[in-house]
Amino acid sequence: MLAHRRLVLTAAALLALPFAPAGAQTAPAKGEPIYLGVSGPLTGPNAQYGAQWKQGFDLALDEINGAGGIKGRPLAYIFEDTQSDPRQSVAVAQKFVADKRIVAELGDFASPASMAASPIYQRAKLVQFGFTNSHPDFTKGGDYMWSNSVSQADEQPLSAAFAVKRLGMKRIAVLHLNTDWGRTSKDIFVKAAKEYGAEVVATEGYLPDEKDFRSTIVRVRDAKPDGIMLISYYSDAALIARQLQQAGLKLPTVAASSVYSPKLIELGGDAVEGLFTASRYFPDDPRPQVRNFVDKFKAKYGKEPDAFNAYAYDTMILMAQVMRESGIDRQAIHDGLAKVKDVPSVIFGKATFDPKTRRVSGAVSVDLVVKGGKFTIYQGGAVVH
Amino acid sequence: MSSWIDYTINGIIIGNIYALLAVGLALIFGVSRLINFAHGSVYVVGAYAGFVAVTQLGTPLPLTIVIVVAVGALLGLGIERFGLRPLQGYAHIAPLLATIGLSFVLDQLVQLTFSPDPRALPSELLERRFQVGSGTIGALDILIAAVGIGSAALLYYFLRFTRLGWAIRATAQDRDAAQQMGVDVNAVNRAVFAIASALGAVSGLLVGMYYNYIDPAMSFQATLKGVVAQVVGGVGNVPGAIAGSMLLGIVESYGIALFGTSYRNLFAFILLVLVLVLRPNGLFASRRQTPPEPMTGTFIAPSKPIQISYPVLIGIAVVMALLPLVLPNPYVLQTLTNAWLYGLLGLSLTLIAGTVGLISLGHAALLAIGGYASALLSLDLGMPVGASILLAGVIAAAIGTILVFPSFRLRGHYFSIATLAIGEIVSLVILNWESVTRGPIGVAGIPPLSIFGFELDTDRSIYWFALAVLVILAALQFRLLGSHLGRTLRAMRDDDIAARSYGIGLDRYKALAFSVGSFAAGVSGGITSHLYSYINHETFNSQLSILALTIVILGGMGNVTGAILGSVLLVGLPEVFRVAAEYRVLIYGLVLLLLVRFRPQGLLGTI
Amino acid sequence: MSANTSFLEVRGLTRRFGGLTAVNNVDLDLAEGEFLSIIGPNGAGKTTLFNLMTGHDDPDGGTVTFMGRDITRLSPERLAALGIARTFQHGRVFANLSVMDNVLVGAHVRFKAVRPAWPFPLNLLGPVAEVALALIRPPSVVAEEQRMREEALKILSRFGDRLLPRLDNPTYSLSYANRRRVEIGRALALGPKLLLLDEPTAGMNQTETAEMQALIGDLKKSGLTILLIEHKLDMVMQLSDRVVVMDNGTVIANGKPAEVRNDPAVIEAYLGHRRADRPEASVPEAAQ
Repeated sequence: MLAHRRLVLTAAALLALPFAPAGAQTAPAKGEPIYLGVSGPLTGPNAQYGAQWKQGFDLALDEINGAGGIKGRPLAYIFEDTQSDPRQSVAVAQKFVADKRIVAELGDFASPASMAASPIYQRAKLVQFGFTNSHPDFTKGGDYMWSNSVSQADEQPLSAAFAVKRLGMKRIAVLHLNTDWGRTSKDIFVKAAKEYGAEVVATEGYLPDEKDFRSTIVRVRDAKPDGIMLISYYSDAALIARQLQQAGLKLPTVAASSVYSPKLIELGGDAVEGLFTASRYFPDDPRPQVRNFVDKFKAKYGKEPDAFNAYAYDTMILMAQVMRESGIDRQAIHDGLAKVKDVPSVIFGKATFDPKTRRVSGAVSVDLVVKGGKFTIYQGGAVVH
Repeated sequence: MSSWIDYTINGIIIGNIYALLAVGLALIFGVSRLINFAHGSVYVVGAYAGFVAVTQLGTPLPLTIVIVVAVGALLGLGIERFGLRPLQGYAHIAPLLATIGLSFVLDQLVQLTFSPDPRALPSELLERRFQVGSGTIGALDILIAAVGIGSAALLYYFLRFTRLGWAIRATAQDRDAAQQMGVDVNAVNRAVFAIASALGAVSGLLVGMYYNYIDPAMSFQATLKGVVAQVVGGVGNVPGAIAGSMLLGIVESYGIALFGTSYRNLFAFILLVLVLVLRPNGLFASRRQTPPEPMTGTFIAPSKPIQISYPVLIGIAVVMALLPLVLPNPYVLQTLTNAWLYGLLGLSLTLIAGTVGLISLGHAALLAIGGYASALLSLDLGMPVGASILLAGVIAAAIGTILVFPSFRLRGHYFSIATLAIGEIVSLVILNWESVTRGPIGVAGIPPLSIFGFELDTDRSIYWFALAVLVILAALQFRLLGSHLGRTLRAMRDDDIAARSYGIGLDRYKALAFSVGSFAAGVSGGITSHLYSYINHETFNSQLSILALTIVILGGMGNVTGAILGSVLLVGLPEVFRVAAEYRVLIYGLVLLLLVRFRPQGLLGTI
Repeated sequence: MSANTSFLEVRGLTRRFGGLTAVNNVDLDLAEGEFLSIIGPNGAGKTTLFNLMTGHDDPDGGTVTFMGRDITRLSPERLAALGIARTFQHGRVFANLSVMDNVLVGAHVRFKAVRPAWPFPLNLLGPVAEVALALIRPPSVVAEEQRMREEALKILSRFGDRLLPRLDNPTYSLSYANRRRVEIGRALALGPKLLLLDEPTAGMNQTETAEMQALIGDLKKSGLTILLIEHKLDMVMQLSDRVVVMDNGTVIANGKPAEVRNDPAVIEAYLGHRRADRPEASVPEAAQ
């Protein structure tokens, strides 16, 4: 289900240009707004992600509409709460499909909710842009399903290479969320780690609402690993790190890039000190579009952005670019997604779709380590052998 | 070997946490015969009250505990006063539903106030740790154990040696007799809710500190584990609740040790079902600890159902069938299609819970079984979709009935808890049985609905299909209720002892009704899976079971028309409340509370 | 009375609750067509004895034989199928069912067309067949239902116009006396070979009691075998062929009404002591 939750950094990102097209210092947009439909959770157990989306969208819209909008018209979104529940996402899908003002749809959050609505969007030929849906089958729902969430086939081999080659892990224990995302990621990670010559001595899948990992850690310890891989989200990763510390199991630990959030450090405290992860950007990143995003975000919300803020922000910027280039009706957006090239992006550096998979690919990550309560770039080589 | 010591210690530590929750639940059940589904919400409120105290006011731990106790006790008094006292004398299901409504409202209020983001709840105690086995035990572990055992000891003293304690015990044993002997039962209830809720709130605080983590969504899991622990220990039995919690913790820990982390809850729920079936009064209860469930059918409120004649019903069905021609709005049609599919679920549960009186809290499992059956039959075996849906209904009926059969001997709340557990077990089996169900990845690419080779690919055709299935199954259910089976099933519900005396074998007729009901649910799940094209183990989650029960109670227990009306309203209202965005669930909870308060027999009345 | 004429035969029946023996080594014989009353002070064990004989409670020892067949520990539903009908001390009607439906439930075991008696492997499909027949309703099923309804009306007409105008009313809306009447009507619908009545006139006024007594007298005349628990001694003396007196769980007297009335042990039991707080019926908690 939780399909998303990771970011990877492309090398190309470092060369990318700022967002706003040159000479866009025009007057604020006026007239009839152009609407995107957003289907996502504002209530229910996943409500926090919907709230993070909104912040990312709003920041992007300030920028887009402040610079003249789309061909002079302001861009806006209609957010319908689905609680990420498939029964509601299908109703919302019909609502969007019937609402002629809506030119494309963003979301839903969890795979069951997104993929249940896909047949409706596909039939109505309205683009469903599942920007957090990394489920390998999401874009197979039809040619109107697109996603800029990077497939795990790109990220996990990088994590495996980092763990095995750079940190020198030989016996790895993998703890993963037992969801579609966690499971897919784990399989890819395990395969890659084995190819790089390491042994995976334990894999433990846990449920998203799990809080107690003590017995899992005993099991992991008994497998005698020399390193741990967490395919987790920041909240579980913080819980696991604390309990690893309490159990006295001090091993180098790598976490999937989905843990990249200020919340990880808030919840994990000194237990996450020394945790390795990867990200596509980090607050001190010198790339202009990252600086632009992070600084504006801090100014608007008074806090560091996290992954979902960045996803939402990037997605809105991308859609604006597609509409500027290809037009503002449903079909034009569908066609434009296949054509758009090198859209500046916080997450990707430059985003281009593969028209066959309808995904963005070719990611490279920046490796981070938590040091002194902050994410910093990891410069070292092997730590343990 | 040393690992087993670690597993045992870990089991006891987590059992410790469950005990804090279970003691409060046990106390309330002991006196009010009520499974308090709002207990987890009190726990959440306690955690957030502690969060405000610690982070905003900077209070030291003892003062934080005092504050949280006060907040919890006040909340308990409020729940008792506004949620439950007005429902005295109502059918037993009413207060149960009221606590569900209250938990929606409380969770949502916390979420609106503090945002859904998880928060850190720091504690100065956490850093002190002692080496035990190969792991460590923290000062907080010891504090949690001390609070658990200390509160149980205090409760013991209070119940044995104080006047109010006597009154509570007397009320627990025989409410009417106690009242006649001059015990102020309301005062007893207030005291119990205040104490139990204070305890629940403190457990929220301590657990939050333990994990340095709180979020508003942790309420349901807390209630669930607390309920499991206290049932294992013996419902309403405070020392039993503590023992049950420890046992639950240890069983979960050993489950992880033997089979891996993702089997943890499976073991917890299998333990629960085994205890319920083999020792329904709990492992640690003396035989006659729990007073019997009501002798006659007070579980269902007597009421005069509103009669709607067949011509009118047929007229409504015709209007509904013509609707897509007059109002071709796909959003409205989709919402109504959802309502028809929920209506099938409602038909199922209104037969089982309403007509037979088996209040199932795990009904979503039948949808899941039906959904997976039809998806896998069509996808893996290439069966035509129409046939797979039909067979999915049969499979849901068979598997559902076999799973629930051993629980038929349970009464009232015990049956409800058993079905809750069975529902969770089904979901966990789907998650773990990867070779068949594809595990957490789910089943994608499920072929679209089709019938006799014609693909149903327009909103209208899907709408008509769902409506037609609903009308057919509703008509069959009317016919069934009008036969000798209708009165037989209702007789069992009203008085099972008398029913047996007249030759009605309870297991046979419960199984019969459960299969018929499960068929409708299985068909609903089957259709849904083809409509969604993708399902996983969370598509049919436990919230759906609660919703199904709400639909049935809203419409009127056992009332076929009521179940359909209920589903139209409960699917429709959240859509109408869309404008309210974040406040939607809050409004839903309030509507549920008002309904239970002012029309407990449902809109159309119990049949 | 010799054993080979015994219609119902109870031998050494015993039931203990903790330290208390509610029914202690009771012997009882009942001939076909006989009217036997059981009397005794509250807590004497009468209702417990009824519960043991009708399968609602399991004895700790002893046997019950009905028409030559050992029925000890048989379930209530099996006993109903054998033709044993009972009413309950506190009245147990199906509150949400109409008067007519209550009586028809009484006839449950006699519905044969909807429950075909198939041999072994097929009988596993019995419930499926029952649902199918209830939905399809072939003529045999319709006719059977019709016949039972007519019979139920005939039974209800025994109560004059007490119940006939209220056929479709739910029984929770009836007066207490009418509910007791419904219960007896329901028991008669079973077509019982043996009828056990547990205080059928409890809570009734004099007129109602007289009416009920007349009705029970009619039942006796029709040749029905009846076992009655009753406190109203006048009624017992007038109706009974024989009276058994229980106290402290044991039978202390057994004989014709006139003999029993003058038995000193009986007088002692009724006047000598009062101990009322003794468990009678027992229903285990969550499970039955």
